[in-house]
Amino acid sequence: MSARKAEPVGRMNETAWCPGCGNHAILKTLDAAVAEAGLDRRKLMLVSGIGQAAKLPHYTDANVFNGLHGRALPAATGIKLANHELEVIITSGDGDMYGEGGNHFLHAIRRNIGVKCFVHDNQVYGLTKGQASPTSELGFVTKIQTHGVVSVPVSPLALAIVENATFVARSSAVVPEHLQKMMVAAIRHKGFALLDILQPCVTFNKVNTWQWYKQRVKELPAGYDPANRALALETALKWGEEIPIGIIYRAERKTFEEQQPALAKGPLALTYGK
Amino acid sequence: MDTNIRICGEAGQGVQTTGDLLTHALAAAGLHVCATQGYMSRIRGGVNSFDVRIGDAEVLGARVPAELLVVFTREALDNCRSSVAEGGLVLFDGQADDGVIALEMAKAAAAAGGSALMANAVAAGAVYALLGLDLGSLRAALSKQFAKKDESVARTNIACAEKGAELVAARRGAVKCPKPGQPFGAVVSGSETVGLAAAVAGVKVVSSYPMTPSTGVFTWLAGAADRYGIVVEQAEDEIAAINMVCGATYAGVPAMTTTSGGGFALMAEGLSLAGMCELPAVILLSQRPAPATGLPTRTGQEDLLFAAHAGHGEFPRAIFAPGSLAQAYDLTRRAFETAHRWQTPAMILIDQFLADLQRNVAPMDETLRPIDRGLLDVPPADYRRYAVTKNGVSPRAIPGAGPFVITDSDEHTADGHLTEDLAVRVEQQDKRLRKCKGMLAEFLLPEFYPAPAAEVLACWGSTWGPCREAVDLLRAAGRDVCMLHFGQVWPIDGRRVKPMVAGRKVTMVEGNATAQLGSVLKGAGALGRFKAILRYDGLPFTGPEIAERAAGRVKS
Ligand SMILES: Cc1ncc(C[n+]2csc(CCOP(=O)(O)OP(=O)(O)O)c2C)c(N)n1
Ligand SMILES: [Mg+2]
Repeated sequence: MSARKAEPVGRMNETAWCPGCGNHAILKTLDAAVAEAGLDRRKLMLVSGIGQAAKLPHYTDANVFNGLHGRALPAATGIKLANHELEVIITSGDGDMYGEGGNHFLHAIRRNIGVKCFVHDNQVYGLTKGQASPTSELGFVTKIQTHGVVSVPVSPLALAIVENATFVARSSAVVPEHLQKMMVAAIRHKGFALLDILQPCVTFNKVNTWQWYKQRVKELPAGYDPANRALALETALKWGEEIPIGIIYRAERKTFEEQQPALAKGPLALTYGK
Repeated sequence: MDTNIRICGEAGQGVQTTGDLLTHALAAAGLHVCATQGYMSRIRGGVNSFDVRIGDAEVLGARVPAELLVVFTREALDNCRSSVAEGGLVLFDGQADDGVIALEMAKAAAAAGGSALMANAVAAGAVYALLGLDLGSLRAALSKQFAKKDESVARTNIACAEKGAELVAARRGAVKCPKPGQPFGAVVSGSETVGLAAAVAGVKVVSSYPMTPSTGVFTWLAGAADRYGIVVEQAEDEIAAINMVCGATYAGVPAMTTTSGGGFALMAEGLSLAGMCELPAVILLSQRPAPATGLPTRTGQEDLLFAAHAGHGEFPRAIFAPGSLAQAYDLTRRAFETAHRWQTPAMILIDQFLADLQRNVAPMDETLRPIDRGLLDVPPADYRRYAVTKNGVSPRAIPGAGPFVITDSDEHTADGHLTEDLAVRVEQQDKRLRKCKGMLAEFLLPEFYPAPAAEVLACWGSTWGPCREAVDLLRAAGRDVCMLHFGQVWPIDGRRVKPMVAGRKVTMVEGNATAQLGSVLKGAGALGRFKAILRYDGLPFTGPEIAERAAGRVKS
């Protein structure tokens, strides 16, 4: 028998992230956002797949479902259906969400399930040591893509808008205050929220560095109308010398949970057998 | 005695409608009915068949010769004529011939004031007359079928049935019919039974991707969702389906997915996740012939070894394989109970034959009786999800109520946090695998029918009915033979099975090409040498077929 500790179980003490990794800032900001949004930690449910980003749930105080690579969304969907009073937040990587889990990404958006999806987008596969991810830029050279990436990168935000997502935002680990605002807004949104977080990977991505992101991210102009879908699509596709950050698109639609008659009497997990 | 009526025609011609109608009507007439189906993987065309076998005692499966063949097309006639018993009759929507009674069904329907669609009622009426049966139960069945429509619909259908009977009146009673008794029970299918048992057990989230022959259970649950308070979701793929089930069970509700071989193959990683995170995921696996897409609408028992070994790594699981409809009800519930008691995945293995099989049986309890989820009432403040215990089962709490519930597909500590501490790894793996011992102690012993004998026909799952019939036939011919049916096929407690078969001549009767249960029994040390009667052409065994093959094979 392992020695039984008397104290409640909480976060792990040590992270497996490199010094200077964007994940540290994201973690710190998430903690601040949870506090600012006034969430009850006991109802905080962090879900992730596999990758360096996906380890985040272990490093804060929350319920954790750290499932399979690419499968955070369906697991989170199942959790939300079983207990829709949980505040379900996914924190996972770009490979996890847009690569291995791409099909789930398309369909979770259609459902508008009330899950907040925070994607640590470092444009690379970190945990497996530096292969290209679906958001790696053309020409990005790795030990696998030795002549550089030849497939065009996905545009997750544009995809989400085309799919009628109800909350589509971008921020970055290099602008923590802005990131916190976006996290709080996503948490407060009813329905599925996508927050793509540009994140420097100091070890495997020598192209999209802290400097690189800092020079490019630019907040949306005052008066920007996130309800304008055509404008949102145009904005989401902008990438280059200027990368827009902020709430790019927002719409209202019934959530998946709201449309399930079986959930009308309260969370299934809590009303079971009653 | 029993009589077999076979209905054949193209998909979309009403083979199924006619078959369903006769099944319900003949059951209401007081006969024992067993309906089985064989269909092609298409929406129109081809040749589909629907067998309605009726008896004055229980009928457990199909048999080949039909005393009466009902065919809608020339192609179906050519295709199915060889299945007519000697002296049997054919009812054909075409030209009369030797042993063939012509009945222009659509025309007759029109004459009775009905549409071409009501040809099915005409056919059923004619079948009733040929069997020499009173039309009362058929009229009642039609009234019931169209109860929700305008009253004229039932009335016209009944007129069509009467027209059909009238047109073959000259041959009334030409087909021998078993003597009806008191009407009893209700007609249910295998799919319906499994769905009902899951709903009654308290399943709350069902997430699946359609795949024949599992879709019947999925569809039944969707239809019952509002009544039982279930969320039924068509997932984007089977990977999503199993991961949703994992999420839902983690959060505290019984959940299940339904699939067939190809879909289950996609679920392998998720199954392993349930093993690692100790989640009571329940999977209904309805088998069809494979590899790959195989024969999508046919039957087989080819996935036992796959179900037993799917998923990377080593973790406990239980697999149940019901034979009868009553057992399908009981074992579906048992799968949920086992999964929750041991916090590990459980599977229910059926196949196209059992999924589509319909019989009138004693009514099944439809009242919600939720299983015990095995949750802590009030988790202590220092709660740990994967605390190491003697029997391997850790106290289970659900997230949201108190202490954090932390789970990880990585190897984890008792806290649930990922770890690469190799000693902890061994401790946790030992803990998980310790559950195997307790699960083995709960092993559902196989059952003899009618009693142990010198020769044993051993089978599992849906082969129960045909095998039992074969044993009856062989015993009537003086053979000292019995059946041994396995309702649980994994894990097998070899030490308890061994004495049951010791000293007997064992023949495995399985719907596959390699005697998979035979090899499992061998591996469990329960069985040495055995013979085998195998079938893997996509059709189910029949009792007479097994008896005939056993007579050649088991003779000593
Ligand atoms: C089914 C499966 N395939 C592959 C892997 C190996 N793998 C783990 S994480 C990962 C990619 C990680 O990239 P990303 O999601 O962007 O996360 P990051 O490490 O960059 O934060 C891969 C390929 C796995 N664990 N499971
Ligand atoms: Mg990445």
